[in-house]
Amino acid sequence: MLDDVFVALADPTRRAVIRRLGEGPASVSELARPFAITLPSFLKHVRMLESSGLVRTAKSGRVRMCTLDRERLAVVDGWLAEQRSVWEERTHRLAVFVADSPKIPDSAEIPESQEQS
Amino acid sequence: MTDIDPRLDLTLDRVIRAPREVVWRAWTDPAQLAQWWVPAPTVARVEQLDVRPGGAFVTSMSDDGAAFVPHTDAVFLVVDDGARIVFSNAIDSSWHPASPEPVAMTAEIVFDEHPDGTDYRVVVRHADPATRDRHEQLGFFEGWGSVTAALAALAESRAG
Repeated sequence: MLDDVFVALADPTRRAVIRRLGEGPASVSELARPFAITLPSFLKHVRMLESSGLVRTAKSGRVRMCTLDRERLAVVDGWLAEQRSVWEERTHRLAVFVADSPKIPDSAEIPESQEQS
Repeated sequence: MTDIDPRLDLTLDRVIRAPREVVWRAWTDPAQLAQWWVPAPTVARVEQLDVRPGGAFVTSMSDDGAAFVPHTDAVFLVVDDGARIVFSNAIDSSWHPASPEPVAMTAEIVFDEHPDGTDYRVVVRHADPATRDRHEQLGFFEGWGSVTAALAALAESRAG
């Protein structure tokens, strides 16, 4: 479920929409206005945000209104997401470290004088 | 080992393209651990790394390479040589019960064989930080700026 949210947030247009909805609900056409893309392609972004659960939409008359689901956003913006990113990045550094070091020196092989004080 | 609470716990699973012994050494050798434990340009110093049950795990870190501040202060709970490490910061390296910031946790690291190298799995179980959850105080926009931007960057690198 977290992956859907990640994918939804992986696009600058969709992030801008989330940021705008952080100020309050808005209609689809209002949201689309700042972007130089066609309405159909903008609607694809809205649908993606909707399926990730980050945005809810509801039709009132001829206007489709979008609302941010803050609880859903908290899934990636809370303390647990922060801890997750710490561990994800740490694991990535470990993977790069062991892959990129053809000859990794052990502590025992490093002379005392070279250790940081 | 035990249940995972999705509200409090996180799990990671990654295939690392290096033999299990190499990944194990990167974790348990102080000089190697210091190379990847914190993100550059911050520098880590491994103060104590006594990899056995009850052993100390203490690191400090520095932004300028001169002044170091405490970072990890934890104790190893389980060590299965070459295969598994479990440590917690809910008890510090001197075995005093602790209330670490931002949240107390127990981390379990499993190193398994994989055709491409090492199946590296992490489970981090957290205490419930609800009473001192900074998120509410910081508010939406500050939270957005600090954390989600970093996550979005991470997501982009994944998706890209």
